[in-house]
Amino acid sequence: MDMSTLMQFNWGSMMPEFIILITAVALSLIDLFMNKKKDRTMLVWIALTGVGLALIFLFLQFDNGVVSILNETYRLDSFAKAFKLLMLIGTGLVLLLGLPAPDELKQVRGEYYYLILTALLGGMMMASSADLITLFVGLELLSLSSYILVGIRKTNHFANEAAFKYLVSGGIATAITLFGMSYLYGLSGETNLYAIQSAMTGDIVADNRFLVVFAFLMIFIGLVFKIAAAPFHMWAPDVYQGAETPITAFLSVVSKTAGFAIILRVLMVPFVFAPGTGKVITPDGMSYESLLVSVRPYIGIIAILTILIGNLIALRQLNAKRLFAYSSIAHAGYLLIPFAALSEMVFEVVWFYLMAYLLMNIGAFAVIHAVTKETEDVTIASFAGMFRRSPFIGIAMTIFLLSLAGIPFTAGFIGKFEIFMSALGTEPKRYFLTGAMLLGTVLSYVYYFGLLVQIYFRPTDKKPITVSGGITAVLTIAATATLVLGIFPSTALTFIQDYFHFMEMFNR
Amino acid sequence: MSSIPLSAYLVTALLLFCMGLYGALTKRNAVIVLISIELMLNAVNINLVAFAKYGVGASIRGQVFSLFTITVAAAEAAVGLAILIALYRNRGTVNVDEMNTLKK
Repeated sequence: MDMSTLMQFNWGSMMPEFIILITAVALSLIDLFMNKKKDRTMLVWIALTGVGLALIFLFLQFDNGVVSILNETYRLDSFAKAFKLLMLIGTGLVLLLGLPAPDELKQVRGEYYYLILTALLGGMMMASSADLITLFVGLELLSLSSYILVGIRKTNHFANEAAFKYLVSGGIATAITLFGMSYLYGLSGETNLYAIQSAMTGDIVADNRFLVVFAFLMIFIGLVFKIAAAPFHMWAPDVYQGAETPITAFLSVVSKTAGFAIILRVLMVPFVFAPGTGKVITPDGMSYESLLVSVRPYIGIIAILTILIGNLIALRQLNAKRLFAYSSIAHAGYLLIPFAALSEMVFEVVWFYLMAYLLMNIGAFAVIHAVTKETEDVTIASFAGMFRRSPFIGIAMTIFLLSLAGIPFTAGFIGKFEIFMSALGTEPKRYFLTGAMLLGTVLSYVYYFGLLVQIYFRPTDKKPITVSGGITAVLTIAATATLVLGIFPSTALTFIQDYFHFMEMFNR
Repeated sequence: MSSIPLSAYLVTALLLFCMGLYGALTKRNAVIVLISIELMLNAVNINLVAFAKYGVGASIRGQVFSLFTITVAAAEAAVGLAILIALYRNRGTVNVDEMNTLKK
């Protein structure tokens, strides 16, 4: 490939990625050459500027159609734009959350900020690649950066232990995904998702239908690790507890969004025309049903298990971070329902719920981060009398908890409602999935309202909590957006309809 | 030269993968756990290279994919060992059973 071919590519479509990459490299160089004793708060502002610029360029791309460059390995379509938007907003909020308070300026470490950016870059590549190889490299860039981020407090043995557990379970999950991918390659001889999609209609695949199902399930089981759903949910509580709170927020929001992006793309695009195990009668005679239809029960079982495990174990947690870890497992289960139901609106519904989840979860972790400044071990009792101590934090936490529980007039309610209706809108209606979701929601009231009882009705003699400007900003943004999305959901829904045409994902 | 059928390679890879998974889940020494994960990743490489030579649409792509897998596996091992060293310095053990200070 000579220079002139290289210059013909529409490099502008990769602009957000380039900005993040350049910012990360620049930050690592600045950190290297900066005086060791100097205050490193400036690095946060550079990182935030990079994320902001990337967001602006992403908005400028919204009117473009599908662009695919680099021999169709990189693909910019509505799906990629929608998920990149979520990841950039999430990372921006996490960086704001990481703004050091005046008394802890000395502890700021440069690695922290550029590793968040490289993790974001991996997530963005996962959202917009159309090739197994680039998808895998993006996935590992995100994973490796987050392993280091979890263990960044290298003298803290909780952090060490959390990082090691995360690495081992992540490594096993990666190997399982790759094993599935190798069979997918073997059956089609291609690594490009769209080439696989057309190869899946051939005779050889039809003769090896069970191998296709095997490949699908291996890939799915491995990728489920990223979104912390059963059976790969075990790491979440330990890692969330051991990591620093902003990193926990990053893992529970950005990493999970990237996980859903790769699951939806890598499982929907290649397998959409693949033959499944069951037979259907068509006017032309017998043919095989779609693979996505055959595997629906398995995805449904995983979704239901995830909801029940997450909510039931959350009931008996005393540590706030572990409680939110199990609650985020339960939310991953809700998010799998549209995929298991295979409704037509799966992308819109998942996107809206991820948006709501991003706001309420980062907000809740911001409150936990504020409380962490008093005590390393944040228990539910640490929230006692929060409303009297610091009314602002108390009210913000109330909004997030109500949204997480799915009470009307919050974004979480609209998200749950959409998932519910989408699962009932399919033929046949998915009563089991919606039933599990209702049961899970009711169970979750117990622990969310338990926290509210602590905030409003338990006495305390502690002083008000002082919070950094970053936390205040995150709390204000997240609480306002949660209420706005809850009261005027149509703004976001029309935005999705106007700018995102998710179905273009299936066409080459 | 192609007297060895594709299925033989696939069975070898599958056995290697299962051994790796078993080791990763049961071994107590953290270094052995990391090695077991490498075993699983190398099983994938055997699959990819075998498919690239004898597979349906035999192409160079599988070999390229396996090169990427090897590189990423090396990076993962490096990060894993670094974390393990930090853990060993603080706790003085690499026994997986003793990594239970985070609440159950």
